[in-house]
Amino acid sequence: MATTTIAKSIPVPKKRAEALAVMVRAIINARTPLSIGIFYGALIALLVAAIYPALSQANVGTYLSSGIISGLIGAHLTNFSGFTTILGIELYSAFYGLLFGGILAWIAGGSIPVTIENGTLDLALSRPISRTRYYLESYLGVLICGAIIGLVTVLAVWIDTFLVKNADINWQWLWITQLVQWAFMFFAAGLGMLLGSFINASRTAQGTALGIIALGYLMNAFGGLADQLKWLLKASPFYYAPAIDPLVFHQLTWWYPLVLVIAGLVCGIAGLVVFIKRDLPTT
Amino acid sequence: MTTQEPVIVIDKLQKSYGKVQAVRGISMSVERGEIFGFLGPNGAGKTTTIRCMLDVIRPSAGTIRVLGMDAQRDTLALHQHIGYIPGDVRLPGQMTGKQIINYFSRLQGRQPVLLDDLVARFDVEIKRPMKGYSKGMRQKIGIVLGFMCDPDVLILDEPSSGLDPLLQRTFNEFLLEEQARGKTIFMSSHIMSDVEKVCQRVAVIRQGELVTVEEVEKLREKAGQRVTVEFGDTVAQEELARIPGVSTVSKSNSSYHFSVSGNMDPLIKALSRHEVVRLQAEEAPLEEVFLKFYEEPEKATTVAQ
Repeated sequence: MATTTIAKSIPVPKKRAEALAVMVRAIINARTPLSIGIFYGALIALLVAAIYPALSQANVGTYLSSGIISGLIGAHLTNFSGFTTILGIELYSAFYGLLFGGILAWIAGGSIPVTIENGTLDLALSRPISRTRYYLESYLGVLICGAIIGLVTVLAVWIDTFLVKNADINWQWLWITQLVQWAFMFFAAGLGMLLGSFINASRTAQGTALGIIALGYLMNAFGGLADQLKWLLKASPFYYAPAIDPLVFHQLTWWYPLVLVIAGLVCGIAGLVVFIKRDLPTT
Repeated sequence: MTTQEPVIVIDKLQKSYGKVQAVRGISMSVERGEIFGFLGPNGAGKTTTIRCMLDVIRPSAGTIRVLGMDAQRDTLALHQHIGYIPGDVRLPGQMTGKQIINYFSRLQGRQPVLLDDLVARFDVEIKRPMKGYSKGMRQKIGIVLGFMCDPDVLILDEPSSGLDPLLQRTFNEFLLEEQARGKTIFMSSHIMSDVEKVCQRVAVIRQGELVTVEEVEKLREKAGQRVTVEFGDTVAQEELARIPGVSTVSKSNSSYHFSVSGNMDPLIKALSRHEVVRLQAEEAPLEEVFLKFYEEPEKATTVAQ
């Protein structure tokens, strides 16, 4: 074993740039679900281009206009024509929120509990890092993951335009559609952060967040089937992210995504308050 | 704060988890440049006290001041001067030691000026991912993380657990060197021998209550001597038991074993009246004193007296 003696003249430690280290670590910790999100975002968008020629020949108008299918995709379509429509059904329907919102809720749910489990939270908070800053950097890391997934899907759609002849995409409305989905993801992130702020086990927090998103999807799917179930529809976060509307019909109720943003913000702030107030566990 | 003020002042600290009182109103202080041992059995409240000092958990009542700053209110300013080693160092398996060191020195906002020396002294492997590390190797990384930015106050929660005897010795030497450089070290442990070697004072905590705060030298005096005497003539056990300072007398064959605390003179004078074939005296291990503190309150009171 080495028996070096500590030098007697030790320089005063120089200051070092912190450079959002917690945020970067939060993104690295989320690399597996983030990779899954990127993979499926790109795959689904590219798959739409691959199946579009065959699907455009099929007669699926009656199928699409049924109540159950409308519930599943979260929109009522009567006319099935054009690349944008199939893109709306396959990618930007309620499935987008279920898949990518679910992935982001999973990432957010684990963002803090994972650091409790891997022992870095205690060590980080024993340094000059406030709980507020730790939480907000983790939150920002989750939001960046959501932004990356969204940008990859848009990029894949852009690649589609080279693969599909006469792809009838209105880019202005596609970006608006993407913004609506980002509003949903913002809600999912806030929900996950709230759950992760008081649940110590990462899998429990992640599973609960994902479960709530899935429950919201089911409420949206069944809420439109009968008038008596309308309350289910309006209680579901998916109701406020009707992304097919701007993409296919070029219309949007502007305050719907605002509901999601405010709900996400309320959840995120509630999570911050809980995280600041609570005793942090050792395991 | 002035240089005369204690570096750490814990005043009537209480911490409850529901109906369970983990820490029950403990008060103590640690002087500048002192290595202070915080002893107690598992579940006594050592880690709870340390986590209150770091503001990872919040006290139910009482205050903690470190370097004149409130541990709960002045957290950011205080943590710039603190190094911490947890008892069970657990780190992300996919990160290498180097990445972990880089991450935590960034969070500290300071360059790790002692890094190279620590890595060399403790023979720390920093290139491999943590998942292949043994407990001892992780503990060595913990030591590096605690000391690398040269903090003024070190809060160590059972820092040498998992280290082999050779490394424990190296660590103890290192602590004494850091003390010589003016660092204040607060160290919890249940390894008596380590505390005995490096600490000037110790506090003993049991079931959340402070049993005693004492200088190690005074505890050593209280522990006294263990004496074995082999007599050539017949000596009654009662005669030995009557000698001032002598206790726990037992006999095996022609030898008597007993403890002596305080002045040895009465014993020597009493022995001179008999034929002594062999006399052996050795310092009683401090462990015995600590174990008595760990036991029932009555015994602890007796030892403290």
